[in-house]
Amino acid sequence: MNPTPTTSPKDLQVSTPTDTTIVLTRTFNAPRRLVWEAMFTPDRMRRWMLPPPGWTLTICECKLRVGGALELAWKSEDADPVMTLRGVFTEVVLYERAVHTETMALGSGQTIGSLLEKHEFAEKGGVTAMCITQTYDSKEARDGAIASGMEQGMEAGYQQLDAMLAEPA
Amino acid sequence: MVADRSPRLDLVFHALAHPARRAIIRQLSGGEQNLSELAAPLRMTFPAATKHVRVLEGARLVRRRVSGRQHLCRLDAAPLKAAMLWTEQFRRNWEARFEALDSLLDELKSAEQSRTRRP
Repeated sequence: MNPTPTTSPKDLQVSTPTDTTIVLTRTFNAPRRLVWEAMFTPDRMRRWMLPPPGWTLTICECKLRVGGALELAWKSEDADPVMTLRGVFTEVVLYERAVHTETMALGSGQTIGSLLEKHEFAEKGGVTAMCITQTYDSKEARDGAIASGMEQGMEAGYQQLDAMLAEPA
Repeated sequence: MVADRSPRLDLVFHALAHPARRAIIRQLSGGEQNLSELAAPLRMTFPAATKHVRVLEGARLVRRRVSGRQHLCRLDAAPLKAAMLWTEQFRRNWEARFEALDSLLDELKSAEQSRTRRP
């Protein structure tokens, strides 16, 4: 068995190669089967999809087959749902590639934006490189997604810190 | 959404959204070059290179000065910084999730290893 490195250049890279795309690349110290399962198995997705503070993930469904549905919903103190995400898988190549559509909507039903999300996985020596390519309908939608990341980013960071501090070491 | 409506940032992202222009930026990171020096390694015609440099100038990523018959271009990286700061928060948001994913994967790996170790 190959020794698995305990550390690797995991740094998340974000790039915007065209006006309507965002590309995220990240490596994980795990075989791609495990990364794949963590990405697309509902009880595992719940573990890492950190919602903004005050939000709870209420629905998390993921039918990983072509035509299968992806459905997520969050609630807040003020609204249930406060936001929904619905999509359909258009391509599934086990442990290699998964493509799904994605439409985000507010609790009122008003659509925020739609995109196509492609996940690609490559494994080398027990380390998996994952590449997510998000293709938005328009440049405005792409820029909007980055801008909403600005608002939530700080909060997600603080929330994670809170969780770490709450856990006994 | 402070930086959401920034025409300057739009210009920077537009300028970066072409491989030829990114190649020009890379080349200029090595120092000032004239237009023909820029065009040659990119296998670009002089007018095509001029067109791309104009877009980069519009985004204030490149400054051009004329010296005799030479058009000298140099990189101004300041607008790149603004573009990077803008994506940085988006990156952190995802990184926070992926760090949670790292912990989950560690846990899944040890669970599998302890299963295989057991007779």
